[in-house]
Amino acid sequence: MKTLVKLQVNGRVHELAVDTRAKLAEMLRDDLRLTGTHIGCGTGSCGACTVMLDGETVKSCCVLAADANGQEVVTIEGLSKPGELSTLQQCFVENHGLQCGYCTPGMVLAAHQLLKDNPQPTEDDIRHAIAGNLCRCTGYQNIVKSIRAASGR
Amino acid sequence: MIAGEFEFCAPKTLAEALALLGTHGSACKLLAGGMTLVPVMTLGLAQPAVVVSLNHLSGLDGVEDAGGVLRLGAMLRHATVAKHPSIREHLPLLAAAAAGIGDVQVRHRGTLGGSLVHAEPAADYLSATATLGARLCVRSTRGERWLTTSEFFVDVMTTALAPDEILTAIEIPKQPAGSGSAHKTLRRVEGAFPIVLASAAIGPGLAPARVGIGGVGPRPVVLDVADELRRGAGDAALAAIGDRAFEAAQHALTDLNGSGAYRREMARVYAKRAVTAALANLRAGGRS
Repeated sequence: MKTLVKLQVNGRVHELAVDTRAKLAEMLRDDLRLTGTHIGCGTGSCGACTVMLDGETVKSCCVLAADANGQEVVTIEGLSKPGELSTLQQCFVENHGLQCGYCTPGMVLAAHQLLKDNPQPTEDDIRHAIAGNLCRCTGYQNIVKSIRAASGR
Repeated sequence: MIAGEFEFCAPKTLAEALALLGTHGSACKLLAGGMTLVPVMTLGLAQPAVVVSLNHLSGLDGVEDAGGVLRLGAMLRHATVAKHPSIREHLPLLAAAAAGIGDVQVRHRGTLGGSLVHAEPAADYLSATATLGARLCVRSTRGERWLTTSEFFVDVMTTALAPDEILTAIEIPKQPAGSGSAHKTLRRVEGAFPIVLASAAIGPGLAPARVGIGGVGPRPVVLDVADELRRGAGDAALAAIGDRAFEAAQHALTDLNGSGAYRREMARVYAKRAVTAALANLRAGGRS
């Protein structure tokens, strides 16, 4: 079964017939080829699929694509211009805030939300803000450091 | 991708949603925030024939100040419940409960009504709404009815909702000005589901003085602790409250997160912690 959806992704309007069974993460990856949104657990625990939906982070593996009709999505691809990095992304590079990179798009978007709501977070604020994002490589230290660095810029 | 096919409907009005439920009945599942339903469908544990999304209709996410009570729309997201100025002012216990649910992303999407209807015994809202004396408004094409939390929560993940009914609003008496509140949860890590939790609401003059305990049986248990506290808020009163929590938790279930015996002991600990924190908070002039 297909459902027609019209939504804005990274500033561009898309109209497409999605599989009703698809999650937003799958539509972004498979239909729109925006593969920066990763799928880890698929059940809302790991946060790799984090995107902004109408300006707020959600886990896109727990949103039906059909249910995102009429909404605005920003994925990791939408955070900066092609070929460039945002300040936050640059801080992840400079502070070794990633190793394998699988969790990184979700981490960056979670941090983006934090800095939008709270431009001068404490270390505790940072740790709470990424509680919904699992990283199996870094031990989180350098992720926290990266977000801290970005908060000063 | 969810394995089984289903029909997806996104009604624009409550009347349309009620009509769909009237037609499809129990073949139909309502989708609110989807924080449980979507993962559960992904895992194949639920296979509804029809999914009716409530995310595209308006009027179910309001916060209405109706004198002595706040009337909250069932589709309010947890993040809104945690931050809304009226809820923080008049229902600090509910705001505190919402602030600890899941993680940031979950709080942006998950809803008050969705959590209540799911009726997981250790959910943050169950003990909080029971402690606060909430009433729940359910609607169907047959009409409207209001239920207390003890009428609404029937058993583990089971409510009094009929297959054609929608929980539309939650009405909660305002906590008296200057009340002390505390919501204390035992969780394995931040973001994990609570194992045992206690929600305390204590008003000036101990009116009211209640602690609700969750995760220790199929339904939340609410204890009126005014008598104990009237005799002084020292260790003896707290020990007596802890003993009552322990007794009230005698039907605590065993699962992967803990045995029934462990939960009973934790009911004692968390009831005392919640009451202690609420009293401290009352002395500090309110808020949680």
